[in-house]
Amino acid sequence: MVSINYAFREICCKIVYYGPGLSGKTTNLIYIHKKAPPQTRGELISLATDADRTLYFDFLPLDIGQVQGFTTKFQLYTVPGQIYYNATRKLVLRGVDGLIFVADSQEAKLEENIESMHNLVENLNEYGYDLKELPMIVQYNKRDLEGISSIEELERILNPRKLPYFEAVAFKGIGVFDTLKSISNKVLDKARSKSEPEKKDKKELVSAVAQQHITTPAFARAEEIEIKSPQGSIPVMDNDKDVEEKVHYGSGLKDDAGKTQVSNEIREKEKEISVEPVKPKEILEKKEELGDQEKIKGQNLIRNQEEILKDMLKIKKTMDEMALNQLPVKIHREKIAFSPEEKVMVSPMLKQKKTKPVRIGFLRKWFEKITGRR
Amino acid sequence: MQEENLIIYEEQIEKIDRALIKLIKGAEAKCALLVDKDGHLITRQGFTHSLDTTALAALLAGSFASTREIARLVGEPEFSVLFHQGKRDHIHISLVGERSILVVIFDDRTTIGMVRLYAKECGDELVMVLGQTTREKKKEEKTIDSDFAASAEERLNDIFKEES
Repeated sequence: MVSINYAFREICCKIVYYGPGLSGKTTNLIYIHKKAPPQTRGELISLATDADRTLYFDFLPLDIGQVQGFTTKFQLYTVPGQIYYNATRKLVLRGVDGLIFVADSQEAKLEENIESMHNLVENLNEYGYDLKELPMIVQYNKRDLEGISSIEELERILNPRKLPYFEAVAFKGIGVFDTLKSISNKVLDKARSKSEPEKKDKKELVSAVAQQHITTPAFARAEEIEIKSPQGSIPVMDNDKDVEEKVHYGSGLKDDAGKTQVSNEIREKEKEISVEPVKPKEILEKKEELGDQEKIKGQNLIRNQEEILKDMLKIKKTMDEMALNQLPVKIHREKIAFSPEEKVMVSPMLKQKKTKPVRIGFLRKWFEKITGRR
Repeated sequence: MQEENLIIYEEQIEKIDRALIKLIKGAEAKCALLVDKDGHLITRQGFTHSLDTTALAALLAGSFASTREIARLVGEPEFSVLFHQGKRDHIHISLVGERSILVVIFDDRTTIGMVRLYAKECGDELVMVLGQTTREKKKEEKTIDSDFAASAEERLNDIFKEES
């Protein structure tokens, strides 16, 4: 997921180049590294074998500077393409925000491309990521070679979902930046739409969002499900915090009215959006009643937990104070004194111990035994 | 479904920084970093100027991820502490909560025992601070605008103008 750091005003996205072995993933990165202005790029780190095959990942941080007051950073990773390295390949996918599938256009490599695509889906599924939700771009690399498949054929076989694709010759830089720009656009769009209200009240919006996902692209979606608070439009994050606080920490005392209004509005929106016929009113009402009861139960439970947590915190605080006053740590530190002559840590306990002569005798015996000398 | 975005607020960073400083002073370490499991650097304290912390964070996260996989293969749920010993400097890596890693770099002025002790204490504190993400309200924070992606693309276009 995209990391947003408000303290440093930083947004950080992880983009992974995926694809079969020798399809040009690392070449993409090398080209970007070569051509990017020095102030934007970090060091290209390559964890490769002696034969320059990626072993774990290549990593290139790219800092594109301020965008609307946020320092925007991309972290570009490649995976090892060889089938053998699936364990490490899978690890690189963790927390991915955007994927670029680099396919080898050569006819002979078609099989490998398909296999890699299957492997990608498999690995994503294991992490529980939904391929449909993940921004993804396909890059058909090595278009300058002979004996390559036609774009139509590649599209038909590798890209049935009709994702955006780019033709590329990575080592010459053709298509490399177009691919990067396109994925960054998709990723940031997704990050923004994720921080919009649609994720806030999950229970209520799940169905609406699910329906939307089938038909509407991300950018169109976010606008439609904008939630208005009683005071009018409120910034995204506030809304998030308010609702979440109520749901999770049971401080529903503050403005319940506001909340119900918000959720009502969501429900209305949901109705507007839903294409299928709305369920009978009675069922809806029943559901709401049940939902409220559950919520109250949950709130009480959480409130209790919170009290316990507070008590525990108090205890911990006093214990910390006691610990500071009673110096168990200090005593520990005095015991281990630093002796400058020996340049090693010597505890006084060890110093007092005398060396046992028996041990030396044993060593001598052993020496005699193996050398046969006296 | 993907995990939600990692969002860190200013007060949190302040608290985290304070905890890290306490750790560095207590354990006499050189520096301490808090890294997200995906390799994003959250914050850092101590002598980090000579370090490429971005790369460090990514590599440490990678190393931690592979260790975790090793743990799984030998039937452990997780190796929660990792220690790299060098000639001068050593690195102590420990898991904080579910999503972040605490990295302490130290040399021979202190001992691994001290670092472990303070890292454990600091880790517990950080878990609480990070747990507050969803609790704390943030009123005036500027959020990402709808045309953010477009602005970013413009910026990318500027940077790679002559290339494409």
